[in-house]
Amino acid sequence: MPIRNTTTRWGSVAQLLHWAIVVLIIVQFVLGYRTHWATGLKKLGTVVPHKSWGITILALALIRLVWRLANPTPLLPNDLKPWERSAAHVTHYGLYILLFAMPLTGWIASSARSFPVSWFGMVQLPDFVAPNRPLYDSLMTVHYWLSWTLVAIALLHIGAALKHHFVLKDNVLRRMLPFTKTE
Amino acid sequence: MTGGFTGYARSTLRTASFLTALLLAGAALAAAPAPKFTLDPASSLLRFSFDQAGASNTGRFGKYTADVTFAADNLAASKIDVTIDITSLDTGDKERDDTLKSADLFNPAKFPKARFVSSKISAVGPGRYEAQGKLTIRDVTKDIKLPISFQTRDEKGKQTGYLTGRYTIKRLEYGVGQGEWKSLEWVKDDVLVTFSLKLTPVG
Repeated sequence: MPIRNTTTRWGSVAQLLHWAIVVLIIVQFVLGYRTHWATGLKKLGTVVPHKSWGITILALALIRLVWRLANPTPLLPNDLKPWERSAAHVTHYGLYILLFAMPLTGWIASSARSFPVSWFGMVQLPDFVAPNRPLYDSLMTVHYWLSWTLVAIALLHIGAALKHHFVLKDNVLRRMLPFTKTE
Repeated sequence: MTGGFTGYARSTLRTASFLTALLLAGAALAAAPAPKFTLDPASSLLRFSFDQAGASNTGRFGKYTADVTFAADNLAASKIDVTIDITSLDTGDKERDDTLKSADLFNPAKFPKARFVSSKISAVGPGRYEAQGKLTIRDVTKDIKLPISFQTRDEKGKQTGYLTGRYTIKRLEYGVGQGEWKSLEWVKDDVLVTFSLKLTPVG
């Protein structure tokens, strides 16, 4: 499998980034919701890795964006209707925006509550804002609703991928999967 | 020699004794009044910071008193006595403050005050001293050696004292961390305490 993308297939780097982020987002939902219900030391046990993985996703998203801009993008099938094409673009843009918005709102919220973010205990990240409880509350509300927006868009994305694979029987899903052949 | 002192020698001896007595009296006079100070809370800071999951968390105490007697030339009469109201701790977050005030950590419901009382102050450099004394947090009292700086400045005709220093406490040695909070996985043992106290003369 080539490292770089072609106009018909995602390369290995793009695939690795895509699937690594998928796994990490699932981990983030588990940690995020356990954090929501935990207190004291147990809360630290979930919120601390949640922050570290969130920063990891932010870094991967940045690499992914740069890689996408520096590579050809596999084309959408020619037989898509204009609304389907638009829907695909909106979904993809939305996912990219959320890959940045989720970690950034979390990071700024941590600063606003004077709980600085550390990346796996190795490096303390700078604070974006001074402690500000109302700002924290607003950001966490945004963080929460963005997470459900992410679920909604991801379901559309998965639904569309499955439709391409099982109904339209084209390459759209397969070209993001390793160990598959696409013509 | 049996004739005893000559007149001259006797007179010299008398003068010397007198001078010695004068010097001793002078020294006693100079050493006697080590000035007393009290805290100017508005211009003082008492802070702490600790590592939580690789990130520094900071807080301060809002209420504490300091009774200080200090004279650089009379350290024997110098003394520092600081009492901290634990309930006044403030990290800027209510949940963290409440956690720190819970029974497993500071437990101010049972141990409302922390206190440092010096027993001996010795000079270690210009303006720098070591205050040996007892630090009490919760129900644990330990002998510590607190490095401090002390300076006085003339402010509107009053000799105002500035007492500063930093000291790292191992929180578990004082029992700040019972039950699950004994764990050092997320909250480290070291707590850095820094203070800069402005002291106004009493009387």
